[in-house]
Amino acid sequence: MSYGFAAINTSGQTIISDEMENLHFLGKATLTGNDGGNYGDFPGYGGSNDTLDGRVIFTYTITATAPPLVFIKPSDYNRWHAIITQSNSGTTWTFDVIASGLSTSYAPELFCFVNANNTSGATSTHGLIVWKADGTTRTFDSRYNPLAISDGGTLVPPLDPTDGSGLPGTTSGHSWNYATNDHDFRSTTRYTSSAVTGTYSDLMFAAPSLAQATYKRQMHGHKRSCGFLGCCCQNHDSTAAWWVMYRNTFRLRSGYMDAGWTNYAAGYSFSSSHEGGGWFGGGGGSYSSGTMPYTAKTINLTSNAYIIADSTRYG
Amino acid sequence: MSHGINVYKADGTLGFSTLDITWMQIDQFTVAANASVSNTYPEISGMTIITQMQMINDPPTSQEAYAPEVVISGATVSVAPYTSKTSEQVIIMVLAQD
Repeated sequence: MSYGFAAINTSGQTIISDEMENLHFLGKATLTGNDGGNYGDFPGYGGSNDTLDGRVIFTYTITATAPPLVFIKPSDYNRWHAIITQSNSGTTWTFDVIASGLSTSYAPELFCFVNANNTSGATSTHGLIVWKADGTTRTFDSRYNPLAISDGGTLVPPLDPTDGSGLPGTTSGHSWNYATNDHDFRSTTRYTSSAVTGTYSDLMFAAPSLAQATYKRQMHGHKRSCGFLGCCCQNHDSTAAWWVMYRNTFRLRSGYMDAGWTNYAAGYSFSSSHEGGGWFGGGGGSYSSGTMPYTAKTINLTSNAYIIADSTRYG
Repeated sequence: MSHGINVYKADGTLGFSTLDITWMQIDQFTVAANASVSNTYPEISGMTIITQMQMINDPPTSQEAYAPEVVISGATVSVAPYTSKTSEQVIIMVLAQD
């Protein structure tokens, strides 16, 4: 450049420039509530493999004149987290954050960063401000705690979000009214990892949650009953199904950043029917606890960039 | 350090220095559902570029919510639905580092 300002770090990287903008600390988003937690097990079902990881949806808001880059600082680093959706109404931004487990006592903190020109209110007379050539756009303003990162990379979660062996599917040949789930839908062991440095209990991460998955275990049961000498036969059919929808979530632990899964929604359905007439009749019934959102698959399974920073540098 | 810049806060604590690492924010833009956008940033030619994508106003429980594909080629960032797929509305943040 022929004029302007540039600061190069000890690795030769530009960290302040009059041409490119730094991100600056806007503030922490305000926790406005949670949904109480749900899906620690399959609704309406109480047999084998009923347990799920559970999840809580925490909601936050912050006022920002531009979309902020949001970092999640867990309050419990054993839990998995991700921002699953964000929306805005004017300058009010709302974030829904999924956290694994059922306790509502471990809301993470959200640290929000925007470019310097979308910060305001500082009264400090000390520091360094860098403007673009237009003389009005700030690229760097030390009064707002510029973002420094400690790590980064790319991660993609495994295709199969379930702890059970292989992907769950549909089988027939079960006895009539058979409804015992044989697949573990938890996600405890399903993640990929990338090494990180630093004291992990101080770290926070920005990572988009794009991957989603829905899988189902379905069992068809059948019985054919006949009367005396094969007369008046009657077919009995049943279907039991367990489905779970997952969202890609992340975990920071000592030495690693993990990309895995947390169950977002789940359902159980059971139906039983028999043909009319016959000698023996038979029980029937149905139960459904929600509609599977789409056919079984994993979508948006692409490698995503994540950024890690030290939360202790920001208020 | 023997050379470089330290920027201190008003309270005298260190706020930022040339020992730090960061990603510069180059751009942010919204891509409407099923739309395509391609932006070129000549000023960051030769730098490493990453994007952060977030779905907005997404109905995650009721339907397949496909993210668009992001392709980074040189200093150009292109966003478009995957072939034969729909895509949700997203916010793209473009970050760069030497």
